[in-house]
Amino acid sequence: MRRLALSTAGTLAPAFAAMTLLSATLPTAALLAQGSPKTPPAPLALAPAQFPPFQEATLPNGLRLLVVENRKQPVISLSLSFAAGAVQEPTTRRGLAGMMAGLLSKGAGTRSADEFAAAIEGVGGGFSASAGDDFLGLYVNTLSRDAELAFSLLADATLRPTFPASEVELLRTQTLSSIQLGKSQPAVIAGRLYKQAIYGAHPYGAEADEASVKAITREEIVAFHKAQLRPQGALLVVAGAMNLATAKALATKAFAGWSGAPPKSAALPAVPARTANELLLVHRPGSVQSNVIIGNTTWLPSDSRSFAATVVNEVLGGGSEGRFFRILREEKGWTYGSYSGLSRKRGVGNFQATGEFRTEVTDSAVKVMLAQMRELRTQPVPMDEFTKRKGSLTGRFPLTVETAEQVAGQVATAKLLGLPADYVATYRQKLSAVTPASAQAAAAAAFQPDKGVILVVGDAAKLYDKLQGIATTLRLVDVDGKPLTPADLKPKATTLSLNWGALVATADSFVVKLQGNPFGYQTTRLERDGDGWRYVEKTVLGPVINQTSVITFSGTGVMRTSKQTGTVQGQEAMIDVTYANGKATGTSKTPGPQGPTSITVNSEMPAGALDDNVVPAFMPIMPFAANAKIPFTVFQSGKGSAKNSGITVVGEEEVTVPAGTFKTYKATIDGAEQPTFFYVTVAAPHRLVKIALQGAPIEIVLAK
Amino acid sequence: MIRALVQQALLLTTAVAVLGAQSPKTRIDSYTLPNGLTVHLVEDHSSQVVAVDLWYNVGSRNEVKGRTGFAHLFEHMMFQGSGNVKKGDHMALLGDAGGELNGSTRADVTNYYEYLPSNRLNLALWLEADRMRSLAITPENLKNQQEAVKEERRLRVDNQPYSGALVEGLPTLWDATSCFAYAHPSIGSMDDLNAATVGDVQAFFNLYYAPNNATLVVVGDFTPADARKMIAQYFGDIPRGKDAPAVQCTQTLGTAARRTVFPDKNATLPAALIAYRIPAVNHKDYPALELLGTILGGGESSRFNRVLGREAKLTIANQALVNPFGPTRGPGAWAALAVANQGVPIESAEKLMMSEIARVVTDGVTDAEVTKAKNAYRYGKVSERQQALFFAEAVHFAAMFLGDVKAVDTDLDRYDAVTAADIKRVAATYLQPANSLTLIIQPEKK
Repeated sequence: MRRLALSTAGTLAPAFAAMTLLSATLPTAALLAQGSPKTPPAPLALAPAQFPPFQEATLPNGLRLLVVENRKQPVISLSLSFAAGAVQEPTTRRGLAGMMAGLLSKGAGTRSADEFAAAIEGVGGGFSASAGDDFLGLYVNTLSRDAELAFSLLADATLRPTFPASEVELLRTQTLSSIQLGKSQPAVIAGRLYKQAIYGAHPYGAEADEASVKAITREEIVAFHKAQLRPQGALLVVAGAMNLATAKALATKAFAGWSGAPPKSAALPAVPARTANELLLVHRPGSVQSNVIIGNTTWLPSDSRSFAATVVNEVLGGGSEGRFFRILREEKGWTYGSYSGLSRKRGVGNFQATGEFRTEVTDSAVKVMLAQMRELRTQPVPMDEFTKRKGSLTGRFPLTVETAEQVAGQVATAKLLGLPADYVATYRQKLSAVTPASAQAAAAAAFQPDKGVILVVGDAAKLYDKLQGIATTLRLVDVDGKPLTPADLKPKATTLSLNWGALVATADSFVVKLQGNPFGYQTTRLERDGDGWRYVEKTVLGPVINQTSVITFSGTGVMRTSKQTGTVQGQEAMIDVTYANGKATGTSKTPGPQGPTSITVNSEMPAGALDDNVVPAFMPIMPFAANAKIPFTVFQSGKGSAKNSGITVVGEEEVTVPAGTFKTYKATIDGAEQPTFFYVTVAAPHRLVKIALQGAPIEIVLAK
Repeated sequence: MIRALVQQALLLTTAVAVLGAQSPKTRIDSYTLPNGLTVHLVEDHSSQVVAVDLWYNVGSRNEVKGRTGFAHLFEHMMFQGSGNVKKGDHMALLGDAGGELNGSTRADVTNYYEYLPSNRLNLALWLEADRMRSLAITPENLKNQQEAVKEERRLRVDNQPYSGALVEGLPTLWDATSCFAYAHPSIGSMDDLNAATVGDVQAFFNLYYAPNNATLVVVGDFTPADARKMIAQYFGDIPRGKDAPAVQCTQTLGTAARRTVFPDKNATLPAALIAYRIPAVNHKDYPALELLGTILGGGESSRFNRVLGREAKLTIANQALVNPFGPTRGPGAWAALAVANQGVPIESAEKLMMSEIARVVTDGVTDAEVTKAKNAYRYGKVSERQQALFFAEAVHFAAMFLGDVKAVDTDLDRYDAVTAADIKRVAATYLQPANSLTLIIQPEKK
């Protein structure tokens, strides 16, 4: 490779020699005249670069071999790919290809799963295998001194997996847990439902679910492996410190005796065509952000519009210079990042415009994204912007071929997708040939804002009204994709029907004990307040907590106000919330490990909900009984949101506290932040006698 | 910005560490400009790329109470324009050149890098110099980036499972009274971020973003003579700043086991993290602790995976994390993490993890395990040298954390010297219940 030539070096050198001399004696200001230029320096010369060389061979059994030799560091990576992804699975066995891949190293040849892992990891290497929509791949990387071991493990996993029943069950358990884990991750939820929405019944739209993973049998896995992992059509790629001859010799030895072709794939269902757009709103209650994907299916990888689409996609949402990032993050500050991309598949690919936006601006952000997509379909990109974005794509070429693995990845992808032999070599020329007109034509085909899907995963209770009218239809679903109705979004309060006439004024005192020793006290007082009631609770825990709550409510238990003042570990705790006309409004400040969090409360207050600090006041007249469940809804005034809760009686116990010995019901409160047992007298009105925190040595006991 | 690396820090992957020694001695051209800027140049013509990597010696450890999240907020401000670069142009110019860029904020350091075709080395250096000299600190930029940082917090912490508990909980491993520097989360609190003023940001810049508080590493396709000229021209006239105050932190091992339960509204499976205080990266015990991390919780053949994941079938994931928020010159963290399988009470995984740790203290580890961990370490370091950007980070790491840039070649010796007896000893010293903090993350019912 040629050294780069510094075109300005000749003229600058004397100036710098002078500057170095001066710097010792003169103040910095004197140097400014010769200092840094006011405008960005022009590009230096760069030697023209070709796509790095690679070599190919085909073994007698039909296995294709691709070698990218690079001896910069003594490492190699191997990858072996088969057209055996999800498209080859029976429709009721989604996840079969992935499970088969996951089991290839869990017992192979003479090694158990543990021995296989110890063998590759013992030399500092790694092995993995996974399946996607189209392909299944096995990957090994290691120091090049252990190349022979790498080939032999790769061959064992490919040809001689043993699929022990115990490993099948273990992987099944882990796969089910992964599915469960995915339901906690908004990006995973969005990706899964987006695929479903655009691909419908096509295998690209399906993913493993609980039912399919439970249905897969060991026999099906064994049969799938036997049929699919065949040398014909497979591609072995070797990248790193190894030449073709060595790679060929090692592969021939390792894969000796392997032959055959996989079965012809069954015809796949057509990708659905849409005539109008649809907004799919996925309800994730309490989500503070919305994950947005706008997109549609595109075309086959060989489509001639691909190059122009790559350029116009770069204009729309490619990195930090795309329009999405510039407008939505840099101008508006609505998101941490918003991008777009074209995904290639062996079959029909897809386009996705993505972003995560905070709930309040989600509708505005979606509108901006759609408007930008429409603009690029109908207007050519201004020449300056076009030249820069295209220049960026072609200019970054050296960064994409820095390592042997990068080079190998590009060549392998082109081969697996069935692209022409000169694809990687001519890629930059084809990008360079794109014009604003061809880019606009590609945009008109690749971006379908009016015939695609607009998927939003977020708190639909706050989004449903604002997202109306953006698309032809709006469909509301839960995180599993099951239909919801707008009524499902309203917090449904469970109203306690109590005998309010039985409520009487009370005053109790409690001792707080830490590891059995008195540490503080709590007093509670329920008293009349006009036509309603006032509940006052004061808690003092040594120097740690000192707070007072005052909640007022009507004679029939309708909340009126909630106030709290005090300090927790030196931080201010404050609640000032008013309940009226189905709303809760006010402010609160909640202490936390990293300082207090202040919020403004302005939320719907479900009819019949209780302030979360008032629950003890209602206990005397609650229907306690053996095994009773008493459901109700609480409004968390410190958080500004409602949630369903309830009391469950879990046992009966005789409890002795300073105030005496009582027959009590032992009960828990559902969804409490700290799991807690409390004890109320069996005799009505039920008096609170003791509270015990689970997992912490703290008790609150009735003193008098 | 700032995506990949902050993500690394937040998602608890181990940050860049030292380099392998298998390669011949690296030729490093090291020098310091009169204004205090330290420079290390590594010439490598194997690809037409260059990595420009500028480290400022400032991170969340330099933050004070009431001003948490400042180092990270500031990192965002660094992309908002400077004397000769309009807002947005920094990214635009590099993007148009086909380059990549980012920044990240860790406990000990804030880094900024450009990775680009080698004929644009001059552009990267010029841009870094312009913002070191004349950052545009305006109310509009501050407001905009306060929002972006809060959005980043929503994305990475508030809307994700586990992150909140780890980001808020793990720093409580250290004592906030004697070592606030490390005992608070680097992403900061929303209230502190809201309170930041233009004056605060300017003062922070003046103190920490001076050439004498920065180190520049350039790796790739250039000649040092040419790079020296450009660096002198672009950076030479930036005035030296005051010396930044030393970070105050005294920390001993913990004296009583602590356990905290975090309800997590985003999580669907419970998780447990058991963390221990360990010494700084350059301490003699550190290599043994890192190799112990691999033995217990690195890869499929690790003890945690074998015992918890495969034999007892309790966990979907388990891992040992050594300094999950980046290496430190102050106290570090050694942590074991487990995520329970569906329907498994996390306490059973927690108990088994504790007993596996205790087993190392009583019975030690095998020589085969030590060899495996050393090989894994070696592979990682050798493999990292394939890319200019990773190698630039490794050069910085040696200079800042090991105190000598030459350690980029020799640090592997520290790891090769570790014995099974060393590992047993450091386990007994540091992985004691009294020195632990356990975080239990429980899915909160909606």
